[in-house]
Formats: sequence, C-alpha cells, structure tokens
Amino acid sequence: MGVVAEVERKLARQRCRQDDETELRTSTMTHVVWAPPRWLPRAKRVLAGLAERHPARTIFLVPLPGRGAGVEADATVHDFAIGGGREVLSEVIELRLRGEAARHPASIVLPLLISDLPAFCRWRGMPDWDGQALHEIVDVCDRLVVDSNEWQGLPGAYPELARLFDRIAVSDLAWRRGLGWRVALAERWPGIRRVERVTVEGPRADALLLAGWLRSRLRRDVTLSRRTGSAIGAVRLDGDPVSPPAQPALSGSDLLSAELDTLMRDRIYEAAARAAVSRTPG
Amino acid sequence: MANPLAQGLGVRRQPDPCVLVVYGASGDLTKRKLIPALYSLAFRGLLPERFAVVGVARTEQPTRRFVSSMRQAVKQFSRDPFRTDVFESLAAGMRYVATDFSDDAGEDTVGEVLDELDASRGTGGNRLHYLAVPPQAFPVVVREIGERREREGWARVIIEKPFGHDLVSARELSATVKRWFHEDELFRIDHYLGKETVQNLLALRFANGIFEPIWNRQFVDHVQITVAESIGIEGRAGYYERAGVIRDIFQNHLLQLLALTAMEPPIDFSADAVRNEKVKVLRAMHTPGPKSIVRGQYGRGWIEGEPVAAYREEAGADPRSLTDTYIAAKLFVDNWRWADTPFYVRAGKRLARRETTIAIQFKRAPHPPFEAIAGDGLRPNVLLIHVQPDEGVSLAIGAKVPGAGMSIRTVHMDFLYGGAFREGVPEAYERLILDAMLGDATLFTREDEVEEQWKLVDAIVGAWGRDQPTFPDYAAGSWGPARADELLHRDGRSWRRH
Repeated sequence: MGVVAEVERKLARQRCRQDDETELRTSTMTHVVWAPPRWLPRAKRVLAGLAERHPARTIFLVPLPGRGAGVEADATVHDFAIGGGREVLSEVIELRLRGEAARHPASIVLPLLISDLPAFCRWRGMPDWDGQALHEIVDVCDRLVVDSNEWQGLPGAYPELARLFDRIAVSDLAWRRGLGWRVALAERWPGIRRVERVTVEGPRADALLLAGWLRSRLRRDVTLSRRTGSAIGAVRLDGDPVSPPAQPALSGSDLLSAELDTLMRDRIYEAAARAAVSRTPG
Repeated sequence: MANPLAQGLGVRRQPDPCVLVVYGASGDLTKRKLIPALYSLAFRGLLPERFAVVGVARTEQPTRRFVSSMRQAVKQFSRDPFRTDVFESLAAGMRYVATDFSDDAGEDTVGEVLDELDASRGTGGNRLHYLAVPPQAFPVVVREIGERREREGWARVIIEKPFGHDLVSARELSATVKRWFHEDELFRIDHYLGKETVQNLLALRFANGIFEPIWNRQFVDHVQITVAESIGIEGRAGYYERAGVIRDIFQNHLLQLLALTAMEPPIDFSADAVRNEKVKVLRAMHTPGPKSIVRGQYGRGWIEGEPVAAYREEAGADPRSLTDTYIAAKLFVDNWRWADTPFYVRAGKRLARRETTIAIQFKRAPHPPFEAIAGDGLRPNVLLIHVQPDEGVSLAIGAKVPGAGMSIRTVHMDFLYGGAFREGVPEAYERLILDAMLGDATLFTREDEVEEQWKLVDAIVGAWGRDQPTFPDYAAGSWGPARADELLHRDGRSWRRH
C-alpha cells in the first residue's frame, strides 16, 4: 500500500471511531507546513492554537536530507473543543521526507490536498530560494506564509522573495505584526508625507518592512535607524515618538490565523518588501 | 415463481442454486477480487446453500493447491476477517480444471466436473460463466461453453471489459456470443457500476427532491468527471499498447459515469428502464472535434516521494510508443436538459493521485453582494461525488467567516459514505456477482450501450491517425499535459483544483 493510501486509511479509521453520529468532515483549506526538524515543535504549538479557527487538513513536511529516498507518515484526527460541547475535527498528517524525497514534496502533497479548497503553506525558516522543494510547493499551493524575521541575510532575501510574487500570493508574519504601528502612522497623515527618517526599536524584519512601507506609499526615500528589540516597542518619525497602538501583541497562532483568512495577493506588502532594500543602513 | 413464504420476512431474495465457472482462474482478478467477493457473500449468508465454484485455467495444478491459494487470497484481499468455517463451506464446492480453452478434451472435463457438482451439491444445472480471460480468448471460450450448454437449468455469461476493440469487433463478438446466448443471459461487467457511490448517485438524484429541479442546464455551469490513477501499467504493456486509456477507461468507465450523471429519471429501477435512459444519453452525445480532445503520455516523474519511469521505459512498451495514457475531452449531451452544458472528462495513468469523482459545478449566484469583499474566497457551489478511493459526497458552499465584517469563505462539507452507515461498504464485485446470480442486469451494460460507446471512441481514434503527437507530454505525478488545462481555459474555466 502506498503512503497516501495508508494515510487516508488511517484517517478514515480514526474518523469512524469518533461516535455513532453521521461522519461529516468540514474543511476550509489544506494547511501545509514546511518544518525542518528544529522548527517542528514550534510549528506544532502554533497548530494547537489554530485548529479550532480553521478546520483544515494540516500536512507537516519534515525534510530529512540524506541518501536514498522515502516517505514515512503519521496521521491523526484531532478533536478541538470549541465550547458548548461542540468539537471541530481536524486531520494532522506528518510526513518525513528522506533524502531525494525532500526535493520533491509536491509528489506527496498533491495527492493529499483537499479538493477544491485553497492550500496555504507556512514555510518555517529561510527557504532555499533556488531549491526544487520551494518551487514545487509554490506551484501546488495558493498562498505562501513566511516570517522574514526567521531569516538570516536581510534585507537581501526580500528580492529573492519578490521573485515569487507573480507565482503565488505571499504573506509575511513580520508584516502582520506591524499592522498596529502602520495604523498609528497612517493617522499622522498628512503631516507624515515629508518624513525623512524613521527610527524603529524592534526586530530587523519588522523594522525593514515598516520603512519599506513608508517609502513605497509615500514615494520618497525614508532612512531607517533601528535598535534591537523582540517586538516593535517604539517608533519615531524624524525624532518625534509615535503613540504605540492600543492592540495587544498577537500570539503566533493569532498571527497565522489572520493570514489564513486572506486569499488575495497583498500588493501593498509586495511593494513594501521590494522597497525594504532601497535605503537601509548597513 | 417467487417464494410466497419469503414475503414479509425481510429476507433478501436468494439466488438459485448454481455453479460459478471462472475461466482464467489463475489470474489476478480471481485472486484479488472474485474469490474474496465470494467469501464476503458467504460471510453474510448471501450465497445459495447449494453452490459451487469451478476454476478453469491453463496452469497445471490440482484442486487442493487451487483451494490453498484461494485461502491465501481471501486472507490477503478480503474486506472481512478470515473465518475457517466460512471458507471451508466455500472450499467444499471448489474444483479446478487445468485446460487450454480451445481444447475439446479439457472442456469435456469441465462438463464432467459440472455434472458431478450437480449430483453432489444439487446445483440443478444452473451455470454462471465468468470470463476473466484476455479479450482475444472470448470467442473461443464462449463457443466452447455454448456448444456444451445444458438443457436443464439456466446459463449466464459474465464478460469482463473490454467488449471488443472497436465497433466492428464488438459487433462480431456480439454475433458470436448470440449464437448461443440471449441478451438477457449476457452480463457485460463494468465494475464501476457495482460501486456503492455510483448507485448512490442514482439515489442522490432520484430520491432527493432538492437536486432534480436544479440538475439541468439552467443551474449547472458544467460537469467534470475525473478517473485518475497514480499507478502505471503494472506490467500490462502488451494489452495497454493496443488499448491506451481511451479503450481501457474512457470507452467504458468514463462514459458510463457520464451516462448515469446525465440520464433522465427511469420509470423504475429495472434493468431495461435504467439502460434505456443511459443509452439515450450516449446517443445524444455528438462527436467532439479534434480541438475538444487532448491525449497525452506520461514521462518520468515523482509519485509519493519515489521516482517513476516514463511510459516508454515500461517493460514491454515500445520506446517510441504513441499510446495514450491520458485523455481529456469536452463532450456535449444534445438534449433538452443538457444542451450547451459542457461535460469535461479526463482519465489517465500516473496522475498525482488515485481519484474518481463526478463534480457538478453550479452557476454562480447571479449577483453576489459580497463579491468585492469575498475575493477569491467565494467559489461556485460544487457537488462532488467521490467514487473512489473514499466513497462519499461533498458539497462546497459559501459561508460567512465568524466575527465582524462580511468575509465569505468556501467551506467543504464531506459526507463520507463509509462513516454514515455502520455496515461496511461492499466491494463492487460482490454486488455484481450476486446480481448476475439473481439475473438482474441493471448494473451491467447492454449491447446497444456498448455500441454507442464504441462509435464515439472510433470517431476520436480515427482522427488521431492523422496527427503525430509529441510524447511524453506530462510528468508522472502531475495532473496531465498543459494542453488539457488549455482545453478549459479557452472556455474561461479550469479543472477542479486537487
């Protein structure tokens, strides 16, 4: 029996064990997670806080480069309580892609996608931009969700990401995290239109995207100064502090959940990512 | 005469005592499907008490070895747990005859074994002959059976697909068979028709008031039927080189699924009423032009993390073969219900996954007030009938995302057939063998259906003789050639995403 048949059989068996109610699976998407081993525990924690909001089939792809080729699979059906005695059924498949199989994830993802529904891929860590695996995933999914804050080599990686914009809709959790600050800055219109320097205390990716956004929307050079921080804690425009947004910081699950509600291409983000490299301090 | 005592007892009609004679009994079909199906019928007490099985094949072996290999087959392939008492009751009536099908002496031996079974097991001269042999052997076997037909009891013949190679050969085969058997004694098997979901398609359409009023050109935008296999030709290059996907799948399974989807309600569920309606659909289909047909052949690729060879690299395949392993077509059923509604069909080997589905895509809501905010999230309603591997029905509907605002998403509700009823889903062959024993031909194809199917195939294949395709044109593990996508893109549509 092939891996796909084995997975489907395991899931069918587990669904039948639930209760004597008519079996009805409800799904809104297939959620693919590219998770190298060191990212896997974190990816699973995020899933736990996510599933009740997005009934989905989740497929963890765990690349294990090396010799040979092969796929090992685990498949489970999870019940997520949503209150009132109700539950959401979610299917979780973990595929360990050994050797050459790690370069051909589409050959195992395609047969497991839920028909007719969008497929999102959360790519953990820095992609190999020229790697076969990334390009296969881009061809079979509708949306690629990254967190550029997980990457080395910023801002140089943004032009690499931009090469994918015409092939797949892209979301960046670093961009989503800065939403509250972008709202706060937008409220400064029209005074903000001649700003020359933005100072951000926060993660590198979040700061670069905020500056890129100002450059692309205002169509002017804006210099970025940055101080290290785990989240954006302060923003100054030409030395003038901006009031922090009222919204509390979102968890990893909240951030991803928000991106999974979005289906269309985000052209404002794309422009911000492209402009993130325009004028940056060394 | 039907048993008046059985009325009101809630007991299924029992078949008459009979002998099932399987020609080609040493083959894969017998081992994987037929004997496990008989075991499952025995497991549920659905076989007649006086029943026997005779295996006939060229392989030299005694009955005891045949029984032993069938025991292994049941253990390996049956959907039911192995029970010695059930198998032994079946094995007690098992016999094996080694013979070349054209050998008169061998056929006489078969006759002697059948006589012995009539005497020892009381099977009353009733015979169900199952032809699980290569198509070229059909005429010989049918002649041998026909010439030895008993005066007592009934005789029926089950013939596996393909029934002929084209219209001419199908008619020749029919003429041969009809020298000895009437149409109502012939059971041309298309095992897809025995699948629960295919029958459930009829239940869905004709037992639910909500679907039939919208099952027409006014509400349906188009229909997509997919018969996809991820396996290759599995060592059958000799057969496949001559058949291709058009004769292997398109001519039978695919056109039958289309006929069941498009047919008018039959007046009842009798064999002729259902088949009359199917044949009307097949007659109403006009031959598609060359631009409405795409054929392809797989090259190397990856499936489930494993590299796989190109078709031309398969053992026994011509290295320059132009055999089709993929077909996509746009078909029309020219009648009142379906005029101008395209039926996009496709079938292929080495596709991304094994899947047989019928998708009814309804027209979009005429003026969705949410269009601007819904974006790509709101797709047309699709009723998806899964034939295999998971039999069931899915409905894609637009639903509001909980929370503020008016965000709409498509939600997929899957009704998994096996999960709703605690009873396991029977294998197609169980149903079909039992129906043939009962003489019920509803789920078998009739001569005129087969001929209509061949007419369409002949017209398509005739046009292929004039072109020189560039093969291979799709990678194993993909969803087929790019030209198949273009077939729908030209109409502003796309294949369902998988």
